Amino acid sequence: MTIDWVRVGGLTVAVLVVLIFSMLVVSYEFPSFDHVEPVEIETAEFLWSYRLIDLIAQAFVLFAAAACCVAVLRAEEEKK
Amino acid sequence: MIPLVHYLACAIALYVIGMYCLASKRNMIRLVIGVEILMNAAHLTFIAFSAYRTAGYIDPLGHAIVIMSIVFAGCVTAVALTIVTYAYRHYGTLDVRKLKRLRW
Amino acid sequence: MFTEPLNVLLIFTVTMPIIGWVAYRKAYRKILGVYAALGLSVTAYFLYELYREVAEKGVVLIVGQLPFNPPLGACLEIDMLSVFMAFICTMIGLFAAVYSIKYMERDTGLTEYYTLLLGMIAGMMGVAFAGDFFTLFVFWELMCLTSYALVAFRKQRWEPIEAGFKYLIMSAAGSATILLAMSFLYGMTGTVNFASLAVSLNNATPDGWLHVTLTLIVVGFGIKAAIVPFHTWLPDAHPAAPSPISAVLSGVMIETGVYALCRVLFVAFLPAQFHWGMIIAVLSVVTMTVGNLMALLQTDIKRLLAYSSIAQIGYILVGIAAGTQSGLTGTTFHIFNHALMKGLAFLCAGAFIFRAKTRNLDELSGIGRKMPISTVTFSIAVFALAGMPGLNGFMSKFVLFTAAIPAGMAWLAIAGVLNSAFSVAYYLRLILVIIRPQPAGKVADAKEAPITMLMPMCLMAAFIVLIGVWPEPIVAFAQRAASCLID
Repeated sequence: MTIDWVRVGGLTVAVLVVLIFSMLVVSYEFPSFDHVEPVEIETAEFLWSYRLIDLIAQAFVLFAAAACCVAVLRAEEEKK
Repeated sequence: MIPLVHYLACAIALYVIGMYCLASKRNMIRLVIGVEILMNAAHLTFIAFSAYRTAGYIDPLGHAIVIMSIVFAGCVTAVALTIVTYAYRHYGTLDVRKLKRLRW
Repeated sequence: MFTEPLNVLLIFTVTMPIIGWVAYRKAYRKILGVYAALGLSVTAYFLYELYREVAEKGVVLIVGQLPFNPPLGACLEIDMLSVFMAFICTMIGLFAAVYSIKYMERDTGLTEYYTLLLGMIAGMMGVAFAGDFFTLFVFWELMCLTSYALVAFRKQRWEPIEAGFKYLIMSAAGSATILLAMSFLYGMTGTVNFASLAVSLNNATPDGWLHVTLTLIVVGFGIKAAIVPFHTWLPDAHPAAPSPISAVLSGVMIETGVYALCRVLFVAFLPAQFHWGMIIAVLSVVTMTVGNLMALLQTDIKRLLAYSSIAQIGYILVGIAAGTQSGLTGTTFHIFNHALMKGLAFLCAGAFIFRAKTRNLDELSGIGRKMPISTVTFSIAVFALAGMPGLNGFMSKFVLFTAAIPAGMAWLAIAGVLNSAFSVAYYLRLILVIIRPQPAGKVADAKEAPITMLMPMCLMAAFIVLIGVWPEPIVAFAQRAASCLID
């Protein structure tokens, strides 16, 4: 069995790089959204608190629309 | 502020344009776009009313309804286009006037 | 989330693809129909529990989170009329699901079929339960979308695709019109909740914009309820759909359109102020007449039954035009009876088509001799549709037409009776063609329908005869349902 040394070397380097980068990312905090004004979330709050029933029903409508498209675009089995 | 009537006039104009499109266009895809235009007329009316309810504020109910209704318009368009795909395969044309095998 | 019947039905809808994957792996596709029938039975049980709860409490109100109430919040408001409509659609859906086990066995895509069937029943139930106009619209869209794909289900032929496209365009235009009317109501009152709309609009003087909104409501819901002149999609769509779906479409979906029209009209536009009774009466007479006239010309059995559905919607509109308690009782009772009769008629026609592979009446002549049980149930359905005394159609038509007279519309009752007598012509023609002694060529090797198709048909026929002989419980139920609209 021939061992492809290039593949083994590349695999080792990739694993080492992933480990080093993950340690770096975990130890330094990302400055998330520090340089921008906060955006309004009143619309989302309104939707989820007042219109909950409609939103959950909308999820089912989307599921049904996907089922409709699958039903119309389904593949027919070949007739022998 | 632009008076509310102008927004309503635009919405009615959009509705009439949508109905005209459904009545007189031959290409099936234009009919689907006509349905979209019809629903957008209603969306414009909702947004216009939610802006004019109280001076300086917007009423969130109108915006919430439009956000959800745009999704439904998209779903109808998706299902309509799958049916148009099969209509093209059966009839060989996108002309809706050729779909007249069903009479009486 | 929502109420228990709707929750259960939606859970069964969403888990149907998993069962479909299992069924296709094991190559045993009957399990899909059994799962759908099981889902609808469990829904029917929970619906009975909900009925008991509504019977003692009057109205059940479901809101999303408790402090966020109407007039801005979405809500489900379940009163006796909602339970009545939900009961009808669950029952017809259950019969259609059991019937589909055998009818659809040669089709592909059964997973999607049962998912969409359960989705359509869930949408109809949601429309019945909605207490807010936009909640009604959301479930209305669920019902409409699933029905577009179900009409176009057998896409390898040209007819369902053509019928499905025309139906989609007209019905989507109707939905957009309903949305525009909803936006005008929102602009006038700031809310789309039915109870708040009733409070706000009951003291309003009718002006131009309210009349425009009323017109848009009638047009939008009328497209779905197959009121002439918006009915042109129906004679193409109902024959092109598979027969159990035709039964559900014709029996329940157009009546859900009538229900939604009633709900919005009686909530927002009081009959005492707007006098829409005359408009609905004229539409009713036109609908009846066109439906009956066109049905006489048909040679396709399902197209004939589709035109007969249009005529029956005309009869249902008589009760709404009258606007009184007894008129609305006739309407709800006829909705129930029509669902049973027309559902059974389409299922029997499907049995004939299943065996003879044709829809043409001339080619189906004489098939009654080969399929006796199907013919007996078909005859019961057709006689009930024609209004023969002793079956349930006669009782509901009697209530409807006698309710029109004290409301000042005696001409409406006369038109209804004339149309009813006139329609016997094509109903009798159906029976006579089916039971001719010499079978046509294609019919020669037809056998009786399979047992899973016969069971729902016989059960529905038994109900028709039972309600015809003993209508009191259903009439009492319909009366309590109708009184919810008047209060």
